[in-house]
Amino acid sequence: MSLPILPTTVVGSYSMPGWLERLKTEYFARRISRVDLDEIHDTAVKAAIKDEEVAGLDIITDGELRRDNMIDYFVERMPGVQINHASKKFYYDFYDSVVEGKLPHAPLGLAEDFRFLRANTDREAKFCVTGPHSLSKRIRNNSYPNEAEFARAIADVLNLELKDLVKAGARYIQIDEPYYSGFPEDLAWGVEVLNTLVEGVDAKIGVHICYGNRYGKPSWEGSYKYLVPKIFDAKVQQLTLEFARRGDEDLELLQELAAHFDVGVGVIDVKTHSVETADIVAERIRKALKFAPANRLFVLPDCGCFHLPRHVAFAKLCAMVEGTRIVRRELGL
Amino acid sequence: MILQFNHLQRKPAVASSQDVIDALYGLLEEGHLEQSQFARLRAHLDWIQYRHNFREPVTIVRVLDEKGDAEPWMDVHIDLRQVRPGELRAKLLEAMSRANPETRPTEDRIYLEEFTPFCSSIAWRFNGLYWHHLTDWERATGRGYEQALPGGKSDANDAAAVADSVADFWTLLRDLENHQRLPSEIFALEIGVGMGKRSGLWLDRFRALDEERSTQYYSRLKFLLADYSLATLERSRPAVSAHLDFCSFIVLDALNPMKTLAFLRHKVLYIHLTNVYDNLPDEELVRREGRLYLVEVRAYLPIVEANRNAESFGLALTELASTVQRLLEVGPDCFRDRKQGVDFWQEVWSALRLEERLVPFDELRHDALPAGLDAAQLTDVMSAAPSDLRMHLSSGALESFRNTVPLLHPRGYLQVQDIFISDLNDCRLGFQGPGKLDGSIVNWVNGVLLREVAERAGYDVHFAPFHYRKGSRTSILYTTQRE
Repeated sequence: MSLPILPTTVVGSYSMPGWLERLKTEYFARRISRVDLDEIHDTAVKAAIKDEEVAGLDIITDGELRRDNMIDYFVERMPGVQINHASKKFYYDFYDSVVEGKLPHAPLGLAEDFRFLRANTDREAKFCVTGPHSLSKRIRNNSYPNEAEFARAIADVLNLELKDLVKAGARYIQIDEPYYSGFPEDLAWGVEVLNTLVEGVDAKIGVHICYGNRYGKPSWEGSYKYLVPKIFDAKVQQLTLEFARRGDEDLELLQELAAHFDVGVGVIDVKTHSVETADIVAERIRKALKFAPANRLFVLPDCGCFHLPRHVAFAKLCAMVEGTRIVRRELGL
Repeated sequence: MILQFNHLQRKPAVASSQDVIDALYGLLEEGHLEQSQFARLRAHLDWIQYRHNFREPVTIVRVLDEKGDAEPWMDVHIDLRQVRPGELRAKLLEAMSRANPETRPTEDRIYLEEFTPFCSSIAWRFNGLYWHHLTDWERATGRGYEQALPGGKSDANDAAAVADSVADFWTLLRDLENHQRLPSEIFALEIGVGMGKRSGLWLDRFRALDEERSTQYYSRLKFLLADYSLATLERSRPAVSAHLDFCSFIVLDALNPMKTLAFLRHKVLYIHLTNVYDNLPDEELVRREGRLYLVEVRAYLPIVEANRNAESFGLALTELASTVQRLLEVGPDCFRDRKQGVDFWQEVWSALRLEERLVPFDELRHDALPAGLDAAQLTDVMSAAPSDLRMHLSSGALESFRNTVPLLHPRGYLQVQDIFISDLNDCRLGFQGPGKLDGSIVNWVNGVLLREVAERAGYDVHFAPFHYRKGSRTSILYTTQRE
């Protein structure tokens, strides 16, 4: 990847427009067709890509606008998972899903979405996949002896999918595992499962670990200290963590983490509609640079911009890019 | 004609349903009502639980179309509790005459405002006046505001209920501690503390439980008492005098606690309110024949009371409206003698009525709905509701809720003790306000809409009847995290 120092990107999702929320819900109410919804999604994704480009991001995602939430996009594609389609009233609700037998190895078709992204931007592209630990927390397991085994089975299925993504040209894949922070006691087996997921996947692999962003609010509180040292066993190249909302308490951990991984530093608080100034962003990056070298840092929002109004999300990304440019200039780059 | 019973009070009703039917048929036979009018008449038989309210015994609500012209059908409201024996026919005739632009009397009411949505009515300024000059009002009536509540005291201060509330909170803290997630500072917030009695009881019980179980939580507690003014907060200090080292007193707008407490975003573990939502600005929505209407009101003083007040306070009738405005601007000091100002205020408040009209409601206008509620949600809610319905939008309560939950810690919860409608069918079983409670306004809170708004904010809300006092109408709303 040819990227500037302190590359900028989003964690994954971009602002979900209110009109798209309504149309998704209309689809569940059988008032618009799948064909129409797919076309609407294509249009919305193109708009998200354009916004990310105009804001000046170095690495682009599809904004995850096809996804109802971080779980169902995968669950409804995964053979062997039974879904209660009546369990969803609003598109953002989680399906009630269950696994009653062994999960078959079958494609989920994510590569198609990556190809669409690739075809619509010339910039570096990132594709995001919810990790097996988080998925195992939302799907009822009536088949595997324990959560770890269940998550491993999901990882086996997703591993093939990641390889398909690489075949389609993906060079940078991010695994989202926010549930680590909710269940720190799982981390040992969570990392083993993560390694199963990425085994033989020839791409830069990042892991995003936050404290949750469901409904635009944190799901848990705590300290990232629980990550050390078990996370060092993860066979990935990057961690992305949230710091803007939570403050500097865990920043010094960057020292240890950056010895093992590139680190994506959250410098935009996605749980408030107040737009940071470029100076505030620059200050947050400078603080991170006290603990990690510039060539190890990526610059991102704390989490997805899903819950922010579009104009707020766009303004925040512009501030993030401008703040990064200030620091790059200070570094003489 | 449709005769709709909006109450369950068969026996104590002064006018029976048969009286109403006889009176309406009589008017038809005597030619006061056209057959076509009779056919489109909707007579609502109400039982207004609040002895002091804004209604006449019989009112006819005009309904406007999009152009502002009156629709041909009439909505007649008869308060069976207020109407006196034998006067129904006369009151119906009077209301019909008022509904007809050609026969409408012009000098029997002193209007204090133009038609406006209820939430921006002058009535709410009276409500604000009450809370800002509560001491004056209490001095004049000789009783505290809590004594005006049904039963003469607040359910919030029930010792057993408070003990259970503390026990629930302690269990949460214990669970957080077991998972090494207990914050170093434990924030709890009471909004609308009043005399501080509940806060005092809660803190006493919390300290006792903490000592009993040797858990050291009390010393980490930061208890925030919030209300609309420092003067009110001062009144609450004695009740928590044993805990002052752990208490902070904060002036706060209940509609938007985040304005004051943004620094505590995602940090507060327990938030409690009692009888706050029922006193926040409100709107009413009506559905008739499949269409939605907003209730607009116009405050007035009936001419008899207006004359009496003018005479009592040495005013010309023409000065009355401007004196009311001055009262609302400067309080009881609008008279040279403050006591006289309070007397005037009480007399005007007692006489104050609200004339109503229904205007078409455009739910697609962004500012037409309370924040957090969109047209699709409203459509969903209404699709499961009775076809002809009058309900509160509870705009203030919804706004307050939305601006309070961002304070909650991920494991924190909100408890609200108030009068809630949790099923829209109940809107047709009783009167949900507005009523007058002493010098303030009271409205039931639309829990169904609150539930919708809460879901989109990431919370499920549950309503538990208050079982600690027999006959209590209050429920306790509590939130849980929505997955």
